[in-house]
Amino acid sequence: MRKFEVLNEWVDINSKVLVLGCGNGEILKELKKEKDIRASGLDIDENKVYEAISEGLRVTQGDINKDLSDWPKKSFDFVIAHDIVQIMTRPDVIIKQMVELGGKVIISFPNFAYFMIRLNMLFSGRMPKTSVLPYEWYNTPNIHLFTIKDFKEFCRKEKITIHRESYTGAGKRKTPEKIVPNFFAEFAYFLIS
Amino acid sequence: MEIIKESKFENFDSKKSAGIVKTQYFNFGEPPDEMLLESGAKLGPITLAYETYGTLNSNRSNAILVFHALSGDAHAAGFNSKTDKKPGWWDNMIGPGKPFDTQKYYIICANVIGGCKGSTGPSSINSKTGKQYGLNFPVISIGDIISAQKKLLEYLGIETLFCVVGGSMGGMLALQWIVSYPDISKGAILIATAPSHSAQEIAFNSISRYAIITDPNWNCGDYYNGNRPETGLSIARMIGHVTYISEGAIHNKFGRNIKDGHNLTVPESNDDENKNNKHPGPADFTNEFEVGSYLKYQGEAFIKRFDANSYLYITKAIDDFDVSAGYANLADALSRVKAKCFVISFSTDWLYPAEQSLKIVKALKINGIETTYTNFDSPFGHDAFLIEDERLKKVFSGFLKSLSE
Repeated sequence: MRKFEVLNEWVDINSKVLVLGCGNGEILKELKKEKDIRASGLDIDENKVYEAISEGLRVTQGDINKDLSDWPKKSFDFVIAHDIVQIMTRPDVIIKQMVELGGKVIISFPNFAYFMIRLNMLFSGRMPKTSVLPYEWYNTPNIHLFTIKDFKEFCRKEKITIHRESYTGAGKRKTPEKIVPNFFAEFAYFLIS
Repeated sequence: MEIIKESKFENFDSKKSAGIVKTQYFNFGEPPDEMLLESGAKLGPITLAYETYGTLNSNRSNAILVFHALSGDAHAAGFNSKTDKKPGWWDNMIGPGKPFDTQKYYIICANVIGGCKGSTGPSSINSKTGKQYGLNFPVISIGDIISAQKKLLEYLGIETLFCVVGGSMGGMLALQWIVSYPDISKGAILIATAPSHSAQEIAFNSISRYAIITDPNWNCGDYYNGNRPETGLSIARMIGHVTYISEGAIHNKFGRNIKDGHNLTVPESNDDENKNNKHPGPADFTNEFEVGSYLKYQGEAFIKRFDANSYLYITKAIDDFDVSAGYANLADALSRVKAKCFVISFSTDWLYPAEQSLKIVKALKINGIETTYTNFDSPFGHDAFLIEDERLKKVFSGFLKSLSE
């Protein structure tokens, strides 16, 4: 599976897209190339924002935890948070803001109920480390780890509609995580509104 | 670390420089067609000094209007003559292969009205009296400055701009431009600027103006035939200069260094011999520290190239500026903007801190205007945009590239 394949598949051609935590603009560049999107990004890191602006991308340096409320509602067709929900101070507040901001929202995250994580913890008795969660307990930016089940429950509670979901397992294969995703999927994508 | 970057003409390279440029003059507003100012007063005739770099393309779509800061002028790039020691004030940014690439863009820079570098200002001759205007020069605003430059564009036959750009006061001019003339410019780069001055910024300008008007030579602005208020103007420049440099940059350059021949009150060495060698005499408070001496030099250099009355008029225009005047709030004022904007503040700029740029960014975002923003990492403080910096060049190039898409 190619990098950002799911994002590429779900985002409409020529749509207006905001990528949160866009870094140096890897996703924005890919979506501009593949889907000719009107790309905007937000990132807190000056050096990454410098790289993105230097490449001709429209990025504002700012804090996801504070700055989303500046944009009027429905400013974008898609708002994307790829692999960063777990580092937000208050994911619940931010996800709700994202839903207001975008026609559609794409959230992707590492599934903490992935069976390798469960086994890892069961047998080693230590905080699990995987290819998508490579950090030590003391230096991880991931302060809100959660599972596919947790996220679906959150959406139900907040009356957020899940339109599409996609999962990848170890080695980024597409099967068999479709069967029992909360057990087999290492990484999850949701299209919500 | 260099605070002031000088590139000598000996290093002149036609491949990298805008080359030899001639300042040109545009005259308009001959009575009875004087320009009506925001104050209700009329000004005319008016001369605007301006320079252009590069070539206007056939569909007249590649013009960039550059606005200078308080003490700047129309000479933004290249050299006016082969004997010039220094190039224009933004030569590191404007020229072939530079971000404001003269092979791609047609770049225009004009001296502001109220100035003293070729455009009509208080030191110009008032046609009605045959004498310098002095304080009879009408009070001008940021809006008046851009109105005059709009006339220049009409004269040059330019209906649309690719971009407007300016730092500090130049940023205010660019911001007012995209509000007053929303359909003219495709993009805007607003550097180290503010939607209006804070009390702190007004305070520094107030002290500067006070230094000038309390100089006995100022003589209510009527000094052109006698001694000029050089002490007042040089103090004004010293105050300004400190505010343009970051705390770190000025400390790194001078630290607590003492000038030769001066001593600290408490000697470094405490031995008796040294004590016995101390010469009694009157206390000396003149520039014992190197930083003081440096500022004095800056002040003295400034009086040779700037008019005190211009300093009063221009700083007043800056202090009076509020882009949201006449609107409900800043977001309401910026609702007219159509230009894609790049707002940039500098991490160590304490005169125009990031918060002021962020007010502009927020108001642009509220209006759904596509905006690029960075609080650019630089050790140089407010003047960072005038100092050679490869990273800075890259963000300007990147933004201009995004405007072509």
